[in-house]
Amino acid sequence: MGILDIPFRRHRLDNGMRVVLSHDATAPVVAVNLWYGVGSRNETPGHTGFAHLFEHMMFQGSLHVPKNRHFELVERAGGALNATTWYDRTNYFETVPSHQLELALWLESDRMGWMLPAMDQEKLDNQRDVVKNEKRQRYDNQPYGDWDERIHRLVYPESHPYHHTVIGSMEDLDAATLDDVAAFFRTFYVPSNAVLTVAGDFDPERTIDLVEAYFGEIPQGAPLPDLPGETELSAVIGDTVRDEVVGEVPLPRVIVAMRIPPYSSDDFAVAEVTQAVLGTGRASRLYRRLVREKRVAKDVVTFAFPLLTGAGMLLSWITGYPGSRPEDLEVALTGELEALGDTAAEEVERAIAVTETDLVRSLEHAGERADLMSMFELYFDDPGRLNTEIDRLRAVTPDEVRSFAAGRLGPDNRAILTYVPEQEP
Amino acid sequence: MDTLDRSRAPEVGTPPAMTFPEVEDYRLDNGVRVVLWERSALPLVSLELQLRGGASAHPAAQAGLAAFTADMIDEGTTTHTALEIADAVDVLGATLTSSAGYDASHVRLSILRQKLREGLAVLADIVMRPTFPEAELARVRRERLDQVLQRSAEPAAVAEDAFARVLYGGDHPYGASLLGTRESLQALTRDDVVAFHRARYAPGQATLVVVGDIARAELDPLLASAFDGWSGLGVDPAPLSAAPAPAQRAIYVVDRAGATQSEVRLGHVAVSRGTPDFYPLALMNTILGGSFTSRLNAKLREEKGYTYGAGSVFDMRVAPGPFEAGAAVATPVTAPAVADFVSEITRLRDEPVPPDELTRARNFLALRLPQRFESVDDVIRRLSELVAHVVPLDFYAGYVAAVGDVDAQAVGDAAGRHLPVEHMAIVVVGDRSLVEEPLRALGLGPVVVLEPPAPAAEPLPPVREEQ
Repeated sequence: MGILDIPFRRHRLDNGMRVVLSHDATAPVVAVNLWYGVGSRNETPGHTGFAHLFEHMMFQGSLHVPKNRHFELVERAGGALNATTWYDRTNYFETVPSHQLELALWLESDRMGWMLPAMDQEKLDNQRDVVKNEKRQRYDNQPYGDWDERIHRLVYPESHPYHHTVIGSMEDLDAATLDDVAAFFRTFYVPSNAVLTVAGDFDPERTIDLVEAYFGEIPQGAPLPDLPGETELSAVIGDTVRDEVVGEVPLPRVIVAMRIPPYSSDDFAVAEVTQAVLGTGRASRLYRRLVREKRVAKDVVTFAFPLLTGAGMLLSWITGYPGSRPEDLEVALTGELEALGDTAAEEVERAIAVTETDLVRSLEHAGERADLMSMFELYFDDPGRLNTEIDRLRAVTPDEVRSFAAGRLGPDNRAILTYVPEQEP
Repeated sequence: MDTLDRSRAPEVGTPPAMTFPEVEDYRLDNGVRVVLWERSALPLVSLELQLRGGASAHPAAQAGLAAFTADMIDEGTTTHTALEIADAVDVLGATLTSSAGYDASHVRLSILRQKLREGLAVLADIVMRPTFPEAELARVRRERLDQVLQRSAEPAAVAEDAFARVLYGGDHPYGASLLGTRESLQALTRDDVVAFHRARYAPGQATLVVVGDIARAELDPLLASAFDGWSGLGVDPAPLSAAPAPAQRAIYVVDRAGATQSEVRLGHVAVSRGTPDFYPLALMNTILGGSFTSRLNAKLREEKGYTYGAGSVFDMRVAPGPFEAGAAVATPVTAPAVADFVSEITRLRDEPVPPDELTRARNFLALRLPQRFESVDDVIRRLSELVAHVVPLDFYAGYVAAVGDVDAQAVGDAAGRHLPVEHMAIVVVGDRSLVEEPLRALGLGPVVVLEPPAPAAEPLPPVREEQ
């Protein structure tokens, strides 16, 4: 047995909705968490950003819940709530005092079953404006704010669903219609494409009854359409591909992104550990060597995107000092990718320890436990993977890291994006 | 279940009661105050060593010193190099962080209970025996100067810095960012860091907040051995001078040519954490801008679509901190958004709050209390705030009752006292060529153009020392 033993129980409604219950009465709160198997990868050309805009519309009311009422009722109950959209999925969640479980189930079931009668043009126009402001605030009016968009264009071909990012384009947001909302809802927001997890302090038997009552009568829906575009991808990009921005950034930055095995692959754990060897924490290679020893960078960031379709992505960036030459930054960074061939056992041990610590610590919150169980159920039909995830990490060997670095992080698999500050006239 | 009525929210029972344990509060022989909240759900322990006095404990001319010192604290000790420290922490599966706020400095350790002895040894080592090596100091200074440069490119940071400066001026510690300025960072010396460390990181200034799966009987011997030989009173932080008197309302514009949004901030120097109006203000701000369904967010986001989100906060500190309302709004609607901020603040000040809105705010604050204590790190954040702001540790035991006691009259009185909308400063960071005239036309006050933060005059030479 692994070190984690978080209890769970699975249930399936006749309409195909999957349910996970995970009881833990440590705190008198309960988390209700819904994952729908739809994200930006399901968007067809001309509709980029729509999955996320749709997520906003889910808060604009449903047949029995007027606009603003969803937020108001949860806040009035002392709850916290939100939703996020990602490439492969969209999640909705609230954590409420334990006696308010039924409120959350009522709200979530109403919008899963009866959203469309509440939609109108004014709400769509309002949330379109809100989302466009979200794009301006988080991307357009930020230094380096377009990195995500540019990197995805380099790493994934135009025909692939990850070629565009979740936020989408202003033009496509402008083009969205109420008919699009209705079609998207009917296609993707169906019980057979949803996982509901309840975690925290609740009565399991009563909760099953409540879930059956609130969600059981929602019609199942048709099978999902195939993903748009070409989902097959070669394991590597095939070359070093580049993009450069000369613009209003304070410091030079070089970003390198590489295709890695998809999240569903057994090798993803190797990528995760490699990523941590490289850039997680102050004892990581990039921080130790480039920030502290060679002093060519002022900060380093690494990240492994857990994506399902074709290939995930490992990404690393370093930010230089004023006047640093981007070529020098690039050489320093790619040099460290190549040097991973001599990764030592202690480094792998450290990387596993920090990754494990982050995971375990997050599990104190019922909302986090619920979110991870929903993910593992939706992606892998196995909420129990939450308990075995650490074992997967611990099984990664230094040899695997070394051969992963040699096979996957070479010059035939690099997208390099460079930001250079514009020279003052 | 066959009588399910979807037409209205389900009837639910009564909220679960939240009980608070007795917090132990005592002193070690060397004078360190210990605050212990035992909680055994998981085998985790979190500790915060809190030192009285952060950025408020040094002159404004030394802006950034408290945070600089905190950043340097783990850069090497008499017995371990920075890298050994970082490695040890990772291998223990721990996190060790240091930071400084305005009122206190903080060193925080989160660790599994069975590793506590080793973790405490690392924490005690960096607090008691840092060497502040010159070479690391030079590198950290460079990193922090570049952070100043990065902030100058981030519109929200530019707005925050301008807002603080307008409210508090250049002579008050609250008038500068915790990071400091280019000038102050360049002027800081190793002696300044050593002196700040000596004055603040001393048992007489220290409180150790401990939360997790450990009892006092186990904890005390571990503390005694980790902190063996640590002594001294340090220097009590001097009380802060009063903030400048409120000015007439004005609109301060920082130009950001081509910006697609304007960062808007409105506010004034408000109250300290010790204000007798704490609870009425908590409710009032929940209604105004402290929740998703608050008036500012409802108006500016859900009704007008001007922004991704609008809100407000009373940032209460040991001395009076700012009230700040703000949002990032689309450039063309900058002036109407500012007008909406002013009208919503004025409406809350001048008109009674409807009973239903007050009830919603009361429930929002009282009923979410359990969530604010869900994890060990949540608890330590709550206790840390109480200690830093000199609030009694049984504060939360009376919280729900106190929130329930606030009536509409009390909220109205507090709004009348603490929302001086005619004296608020309004800061706008945006495209001046597009926003200045419409802002002037609002007639809310004179428009003052502030200089944008200066970019680095010239690239500094790379820092390189012998290893």
